[in-house]
Amino acid sequence: MFGPKHGAELWVYIGATAAAFVAVFAVLHWLPVRFKRWLVVVCAFLGGLFYSLEYYLPAKHRWFPGGENPLSPLVIPMGNAVAVVSGFALALGLINLGLVHGRNIARARPGWYNSVAFFVALISMIVFGLWQSYVPDAARAAGLGLSGRQVHRVYDVLFNGLFQPLGATLFSVLAFYIASAAFRAFRIRTAEAAFMMVSAFIVMLGQVPVGQWLTQGLPTSVGNPLHYLRVENAANWLYSTWSMAGVRAVDFGIAVGALAMALRVWLSLERGSFFEVRESKK
Amino acid sequence: MRSATVKTEHANLGQAILFLAVSGVILAGIFLSRRGRQLFIRRIPGLSAIDESIGRATEMGRPILFTFGLAWIDIVSMQALAILSHIARLAARFGNRLIVPLADVPLYTLAEEVCREAYAAEGKPEAFNPDDIIFLSDQQFAYAAGVIGLMHREKVATAFYFGYFYAESLLLAESGQIAGAVQVAGTPATTQIPFFMVATDYTIIGDEYFAGSAYLSREPTLVGSLVGQDVGKGIMLLLIVAGTVLAVLNKIMPGIFTQNYLAKWLGG
Repeated sequence: MFGPKHGAELWVYIGATAAAFVAVFAVLHWLPVRFKRWLVVVCAFLGGLFYSLEYYLPAKHRWFPGGENPLSPLVIPMGNAVAVVSGFALALGLINLGLVHGRNIARARPGWYNSVAFFVALISMIVFGLWQSYVPDAARAAGLGLSGRQVHRVYDVLFNGLFQPLGATLFSVLAFYIASAAFRAFRIRTAEAAFMMVSAFIVMLGQVPVGQWLTQGLPTSVGNPLHYLRVENAANWLYSTWSMAGVRAVDFGIAVGALAMALRVWLSLERGSFFEVRESKK
Repeated sequence: MRSATVKTEHANLGQAILFLAVSGVILAGIFLSRRGRQLFIRRIPGLSAIDESIGRATEMGRPILFTFGLAWIDIVSMQALAILSHIARLAARFGNRLIVPLADVPLYTLAEEVCREAYAAEGKPEAFNPDDIIFLSDQQFAYAAGVIGLMHREKVATAFYFGYFYAESLLLAESGQIAGAVQVAGTPATTQIPFFMVATDYTIIGDEYFAGSAYLSREPTLVGSLVGQDVGKGIMLLLIVAGTVLAVLNKIMPGIFTQNYLAKWLGG
C-alpha cells in the first residue's frame, strides 16, 4: 500500500488522498469543540501508543506474525505522513508573512519599505528558485525564448551572493558577543565567579599554543604526577571530568522531565495550553 | 511488491522495565496529588521572575517578546506553549503588548491560537493583535536577525526565551541586553545554557524547564507529575551509584564480579 505508484494508479491515489483530506477537514470544521477535544485526545493517545509499542516491543519474537515486530514497517510511512501535513503548514507561514507585510504597506506604517523589500525578495527567490529547478538547461530555456544562463546567474547572486553572506555576517557577530558576555560573566564578585574565572582561564589556555608553551617543561609521561599540571591536561581534566559530570546531571534531569511531559501530553493530562481555556468559557 | 525489512531501534527488557518504573512513579505522583495530597515544590527563581518581568513591562509601557528559538512541534515546544499561555494571560490582564516571532510554521499556528484563547479567557479578545504573532523565517540567522530587529525597533522591556536554541541564543540574549530588556531564558539545549547564564537575568536550567507549567499553574495533576519526576530522578541517581559501585568492584575483584551486571542489563 505504501510502495511507489506509477501511471493511472498514481493519479487514483492522489485523487483519493485529496478527497480524503477534504472530507477530514470538513468533518473537523463542523465538529463541536467537545468532540474535537476527544478527537485530539484519541489521536494523541493512539500516536503515542504506536511509537511506544514499536520501541518497547522487541524487533523479533516468535509470537509476532512472520517473527518480526509488525509495527516497525509502519514507522517510515507514519513519518512521511507527518512530514506531508507539516508541508501543508508552510502555506500558512507564507500567508501570515503576506498579511503582516501587506498591511504594513497598505497602512504606510513606519518602515513600510522593508515590507516592499520582503515581497521583492520573496517573489524573486520563488521565481528564480523554481526556474533553477525546472529549467535546468540552457536549451530548454532558449526554447522558451529566454537565456537560462542569465537566470541561473541571478539565482546565484541572490542565494550565494546575498543570502549566504548575510547569514555568515550575523554568525561572525557572535564572536564579539561572546567577548562582551564573557567580560560580564568573569567579573569576580563572588567565590563562585572566581572559580569560574580560574577554570575558564585554564580551559582557554589549554586550547591555544601559548598555553601549551607555558608548561612545555613539565613531563609528558603519564606515569609522572607532574604530567597532570601541563595546561592542556589540566584543561582536558576540567572539561571532560568536572564539566561533563555537570552536563550529564542536567541531561538526566531533562530526560526525566521530558518523559513526565510526554506522559502528560500522551494521556492528555497537560492542561493550560489550549483546551482548558476553551472549556472555561463554556 | 515485497517491502524491505525496516530496521528501527528497540528497547531491551531492562530499559522497558526502567521506563515503566519511572512512568509508574510519575503517574503515582499525579494520582496522589489529584486525591488531595499536598505536595511541596521548591522555589524556582527563574520561573518566579516571569510575573515580575511582566510587571516591569507594564510599568514601563513597553512590549514583551517571547521566542521559541528554532523549536518545532515537540515536547520542548509543548512546554513553551504552556508558559506562553500563562504569559499571554498576564499580558492581556495588564494590557501589555506581547510579540511572538516564530521560526516554525506549524508552531506558529499553535502559538497564535494559544495567545488568542488567552486574551479571550481574560475577557479581552479585542486586545489580541494577530500581527504580533509573526512567522519570520525558518532559516537560523534570518530568524535571529528578524528577532534582533524587533527587539531594537519595538524597545522591548522584557524578553522570554523558552524553546530550543542553537548558535542564535547568544545573538538574541546579547541583543536583548543591549536593548535594556529584562530577560528570562529556559532551554533543554545544554550547549546553550552557559550562553543564557551569562547574558540573561534569570536562567531556568535542566528539568526546571519542564517544571514550568506545574510551577506557574499549581494545578494538582501537574504538581503531582513534577513530584513524581523528582522521585524518578532519585531512581536514576540510585542506578548511577549502583552502576559506579559495580564498575569499581569489577575493576578490583574481577574474579567475583566478572562484569558490570547493571550496565549489561540496561544494554550498556
